[in-house]
Amino acid sequence: MNETTATPGNLEELRSLLRSESLVLPVGNQTKQPLASDDRAQLVSLRGMTGILEYEPSEFTFTALAGTTVLEVSETLQQRQQYLPFDPMLVQAGATIGGAVGSGLSGPGRFRYGGLRDFLLGVKFLSGDGEVINSGGKVVKNAAGFDIPKLLVGSMGRLGVMVEMTFKVFPMPGRQQTLAVECGSMQDAMKRMAAAAASHWELDAVDYRPGANTLFLRLAGPDKVNQMVIRKIMERWGSDVTELPDGDAFWRAVKELDWSDKTRAFAAKIPTHRRVVEALADWVGKRSHIDLHVSAAGAVAWLLCDTQSDLDDLDRILLKHEVAGLLVRGESTRLGIGCWPRTEISVAVKHAMDPVSKFPHLFST
Amino acid sequence: MKRVMRFADWVELSTGFMVTSLDGLASIFPKSRFVRDAANRAAFESDGLTAFRAKPRAVVIPETADEVIAAVRWCHEQSVPFVARGSGTSLSGGSLPVADGIVIALNRMNRILEIDPDERIAVVEPGVVNQHVSDATAQHGLYYAPDPSSQSVCTIGGNVAFNSGGAHCLKYGMTSNHVVGCKAVLATGEVVTMGGRSVETVGPDYTGLFCGSEGLFGIGLEITLRLLPKPEMFHTVLVGYRSLQAAGDAVSAVIDSGLLPGALEIMDALAIEAAEAAVACGYPPGAAAVLIVELEGPAEKIEYERQQLETILAKTGHFAERVAVDEADRLSIWRGRKSAFSAVGRLSPDFLVQDGVVPRKRLGEALVRIEQLSKESGIRVANVFHAGDGNLHPLIMFDGKQDGALERAEELAAKLLRLCIEMGGSITGEHGVGVEKRDFLPEMFDASTMAMMERLRLAFDPRLVANPGKMFPGTEAPTLSQNGLHPLEKAGVISRE
Repeated sequence: MNETTATPGNLEELRSLLRSESLVLPVGNQTKQPLASDDRAQLVSLRGMTGILEYEPSEFTFTALAGTTVLEVSETLQQRQQYLPFDPMLVQAGATIGGAVGSGLSGPGRFRYGGLRDFLLGVKFLSGDGEVINSGGKVVKNAAGFDIPKLLVGSMGRLGVMVEMTFKVFPMPGRQQTLAVECGSMQDAMKRMAAAAASHWELDAVDYRPGANTLFLRLAGPDKVNQMVIRKIMERWGSDVTELPDGDAFWRAVKELDWSDKTRAFAAKIPTHRRVVEALADWVGKRSHIDLHVSAAGAVAWLLCDTQSDLDDLDRILLKHEVAGLLVRGESTRLGIGCWPRTEISVAVKHAMDPVSKFPHLFST
Repeated sequence: MKRVMRFADWVELSTGFMVTSLDGLASIFPKSRFVRDAANRAAFESDGLTAFRAKPRAVVIPETADEVIAAVRWCHEQSVPFVARGSGTSLSGGSLPVADGIVIALNRMNRILEIDPDERIAVVEPGVVNQHVSDATAQHGLYYAPDPSSQSVCTIGGNVAFNSGGAHCLKYGMTSNHVVGCKAVLATGEVVTMGGRSVETVGPDYTGLFCGSEGLFGIGLEITLRLLPKPEMFHTVLVGYRSLQAAGDAVSAVIDSGLLPGALEIMDALAIEAAEAAVACGYPPGAAAVLIVELEGPAEKIEYERQQLETILAKTGHFAERVAVDEADRLSIWRGRKSAFSAVGRLSPDFLVQDGVVPRKRLGEALVRIEQLSKESGIRVANVFHAGDGNLHPLIMFDGKQDGALERAEELAAKLLRLCIEMGGSITGEHGVGVEKRDFLPEMFDASTMAMMERLRLAFDPRLVANPGKMFPGTEAPTLSQNGLHPLEKAGVISRE
């Protein structure tokens, strides 16, 4: 493990670091620790390159340096009643926007308008050979050239050093309110989750906590409208529905990955569909040392656990279902869990982006 | 992969080109789906960008994924260029054949393989028509959101390749925001599965990169689409203004209010005149511009927002306002907008459609400059645009029968594209670069970014067989042809967005 992290203060310093080091892993505030460590690479933090460069509320866009924290961005947007609708993760922990793109994590809000990938418009980055690449654009609609910004979502610093990015933002929809819907069984919960997601209610988030067999529905809109929609939901599911007094705290805990009452060593993200959610919920079952939370109406599961052997079990389940997962917290020898096919094209794309192998491989094993 | 080729495979044709025998390709398909006769090939020689045409050497019509894969592998091994084609509605010449290359026509790959209403996804083959996805999922209260104006005929494969847009991009994004996964055969013949059944992924977002790659990476075989619940209610308002500027200001007022309309569209006087002549849409007479605003969502929310919208619009100095009273009325408002492009055909025998994007706040400025350039060149330009996105669609009118008219129209088009670049926008919002704008891509992106895109292209297609001549400035010059409306456009089946 590297003792020191280099922190360039500007693009030129970053370029000369890229030239002088043989293997580099760009990091932000290292809130997703497994993605921000490598035995052989020199860690280069983008924390010295921060600041919002442009923000045009009427354009629904902003551009900021990669080391800017999501918190700073969110606070700035909030002053103009705007926000990033996908609920960036680990904001309180100090996540940077560069790290948010590199990890590709989106929170519960991704349900309504899409994930981080859908709001990223442009990325300026350094390729492995030190070239400055200006990919994408700065306007909300753009179909010119290859969509390299999307490729960088989830690239974990292995395809280039992102230095600046432009996002699309939306107007804030109003007050958030949260309903808890108790369900009799997992089957019941899955059915209701699908119904809520396909409903006319225009929900802001649809999450599921298998351990409690409870759905959590978030509304975001003018008070008056929320009340009418809440009435409809209560008409449908009766006394199973209650309003959560402190919805903000509930969602914050999900976004910070600390909803468990215990401190868990590991956290993993697993893109899911129905069968995988069911398999995970079955497996977690009564295991009190594992916590499972399902977000975005069943599209993603977050799993908190204590031991390496839990991860090994998880690996087997994901392999069986041909699903890939990603470790985002904890010290482990592996980054990817489950099924990460190493295709010829993924190797060729890595080589195109990083012809001099300046960054670690995408595959840890 | 090794290139398998014997000397005996080579045949010298009278054109002087050295080209391989097509026997290997022919052996993959029954005769009826391997088209070589000139008359049938001619049907494929052009697309929605009617100014260009090129004759393919052969057209193959696969019915299965295996046939597509075999055809692509043959093209790769023999280094023969191919162009995948759906309904040929590309407005940038994206599906224009490569002269003496192969066209892989995907219209028979039109099966909807799966609809999962609980997970709100549909898995479709590339030849499925956009509108058919919404039709097939309507029974579940779901729909496929991207709505290019050609949606009644254009195919999902083409939508994915060109990351197509539509009138509702502001709120829900473009095609790539709705593609969850894609099994594809790449130009090398490698078959890969990108993404999956979940809207979430881990690792680099290859699906996102594949969308909008303009057919340069390969061919999508099974595309997994995200479906949305159909909005419970729409509220559609048509507003008439005495000046284009006032309509533009109204857009800013709506945006600044915090409302997020599904659509915000403007048409100028010339476009209104055309639409009126074509479909008698009943837009307010004497309007210099009309604005269409559409809200959508739960009934309760729309009730609330419509009042907000009314208050905002009341202060924008409009002289006419029409609120759609029912679905038929709503569609009649949209009919004027959606027919605008082909309707311009009534004002002019030929026209070019541009697709540039400018920052929204510079829309007014851009329109003034377009008007100046139009006057200077003596070429009429009608304007239709997705005002919410800053996506302009100037329609440059000309008469292809007059000597040099097309060239003069193209000169004006070039000036408009450069204007968009200067203003910090894009040369294309939703039509793609294709053949039409390939020379402008290096003006929008610097040399190192262009080099990176070239490298990515080579990673997917080291032999440059997949849709060469598109997106990148190239040497393959397609043949210019006489202009005119697309045959389907003439028939009123499709219209341009």
